[in-house]
Amino acid sequence: MAPLIAARGVEKHFPVTRKFSEVLRGERPINRAVDGIDLTIGEGETVGLLGESGCGKTTTGRLLLKLTQPTGGTIQFAGEDLNQVKGPALKRFRQQAQLVFQNPFDALNPRFTIFRALREPLLNAGIPETEHADRMWTAMRRVRLPDVDAYYDRYPHQLSGGQLQRVVLARALVLEPRFLVADEPVSMLDVSVRAGILNVMRDVHATMGLTAVYISHDFALVRYVCARTVVMYLGKIVEDGPSAEVVERPQHPYTKALVQAVPVPDVNQSRAPLPIKGSLSQAQAPQGGCRFRDRCPYAFERCASEEPLMREIVPGHKAACHLL
Amino acid sequence: MSVLSVQDLKVHYRTDRGVAQAVRGASFEVPEGQVVGVVGESGCGKTTLARAIMGVMPKTASIAGGKLLFDGVDLVSLSPKDLAARRWRDIAFIPQSAMNSLDPVYRVGTQIAEILIERGGMDKASAKRRAVELFDMVGLDAGRLRDFPHQYSGGMRQRAAIAMALALEPKLVIADEPVTALDVIIQRQVLDTFKDLQSRLGLSVILITHDISVVAYASDRVVVMYAGEVIEAGATAEVLKRPFHPYTMGLYKAFPELHGDGGTLVPIEGTPPNLIHPPSACAFADRCPFVEQRCREVHPPLEPVESGSLAACLRSGEADRLRVLAGEASTWLR
Repeated sequence: MAPLIAARGVEKHFPVTRKFSEVLRGERPINRAVDGIDLTIGEGETVGLLGESGCGKTTTGRLLLKLTQPTGGTIQFAGEDLNQVKGPALKRFRQQAQLVFQNPFDALNPRFTIFRALREPLLNAGIPETEHADRMWTAMRRVRLPDVDAYYDRYPHQLSGGQLQRVVLARALVLEPRFLVADEPVSMLDVSVRAGILNVMRDVHATMGLTAVYISHDFALVRYVCARTVVMYLGKIVEDGPSAEVVERPQHPYTKALVQAVPVPDVNQSRAPLPIKGSLSQAQAPQGGCRFRDRCPYAFERCASEEPLMREIVPGHKAACHLL
Repeated sequence: MSVLSVQDLKVHYRTDRGVAQAVRGASFEVPEGQVVGVVGESGCGKTTLARAIMGVMPKTASIAGGKLLFDGVDLVSLSPKDLAARRWRDIAFIPQSAMNSLDPVYRVGTQIAEILIERGGMDKASAKRRAVELFDMVGLDAGRLRDFPHQYSGGMRQRAAIAMALALEPKLVIADEPVTALDVIIQRQVLDTFKDLQSRLGLSVILITHDISVVAYASDRVVVMYAGEVIEAGATAEVLKRPFHPYTMGLYKAFPELHGDGGTLVPIEGTPPNLIHPPSACAFADRCPFVEQRCREVHPPLEPVESGSLAACLRSGEADRLRVLAGEASTWLR
């Protein structure tokens, strides 16, 4: 598989509002939301970006779509450097790369009918009007809303959450993109309809050969939809491998804790304490060395002095930990 | 011995389009020292139920019937003033988003002390001591009592909300999606703290959630709600192992599994009925793969089934066979 996306040393640092004492001392604290990640995604791959809130997964997704500019590193999309694309090339990129939002209730203009919501991207992209009906119909079939006449004249408030999220997905697919980023696509939906959306996503990927990144904190969901799982911790990738491998044989201590923390619908599940200390929100990324060391039960001297690099443990499965 | 007995509770909301029957005759017991998980989708009435027990309902809502027996006293018959007197002292509440129970302009310590002084009748010094004790109990550093809520992380706020709820040693705690907004690792840590306190203090708890996994992890008994009614109830282990209602069977199939290949997920097609004109017969009939003509004519009563649980399904006698069918994806795809 030729890589569709190649990110090298990508960084996104945000300036933080300074405290008065920091202004006096002339300090400029920064939030290293994404701090040097390398990520290569092959054409047709489905990658789950997994991590807790604040780990930088959403920022990474936005960087891949050029919705925000990296403060360091490069991202190539189909061989083109995203830092350089502008004008017509940027417009082409925008058609090829689409985003599915977390909250379907906010993602559609409440004053637009579903027909208009779906046609808007086609108009923006300058697709000939003769193709509109066909493309919209195909997109609606793909998300399993085949009864298009029943939806076109309706407004978002007349649809259920599950139907709305299908429309949002259809809108993202109507331009036949090559690349899709979905940020927590089902977390706002009820359990009984989630499964339907997840199945549609699996189908869409299989039939369109779409390259996709799903951003989620839900391990089970990522495993269900994505062939590959990438685990992030405080702006870094700590583990990367085939989803089944990562779940069944997690290598990084953080991934191990994550797997163990996922609740399962079984009363006889393990209630052993998690092999992790503190919480992410309290954890300041320690300077130098491994970022996870303050919370890691296995940390030793080397973790403080030397940053662990991603190493291949078994073919296709990489992790960044000195213990491996 | 039950701490709370919910008997045929009905709660109605006035809306522009008519009266919405959010809770339609729900009955269940909360045994002393146990955690009762109430599960269901949004709109099933689980939060309305919690608010009715707390006596904090919006102006458009009213209790249209039924009883809430707490220690032998019917909460429905109490005046708002008597009800308010019981809040926090007898019945405490942990909300989904702790930001909603913490006032952003006061220090967290001040807010806990206020409950202890105003409602618990403590003096300032003992309130302060008790606040430190409470923070200790929920695993927070007592130094953080001086902080404002926005200085806390989500997990810490939730712990603070638990500390507040336990401040006056209530008999019953109602927790509405207490960990839903948290990341999995913190979710687990908060649940573990809560479970530990619950068993040490012998608390009775109503745990409201949409997540069957949280129920499996933390509750002794489970009540499944659908369209304002209790459709299945019993010991958690029994109900999860042998569900008798097709909706419960379907909920189980709709969750992705972490381990194993999990097979194909199966959604429950359709949407719950409109509660302004609820069906008089089985509310799940339109979405049920096992529906029969009589399901659309007769209201299924909540009855004991052979596992010792209660279920409201006319075909619960055939549940063993239906359970096998419900395990196959093709049953649900129509």
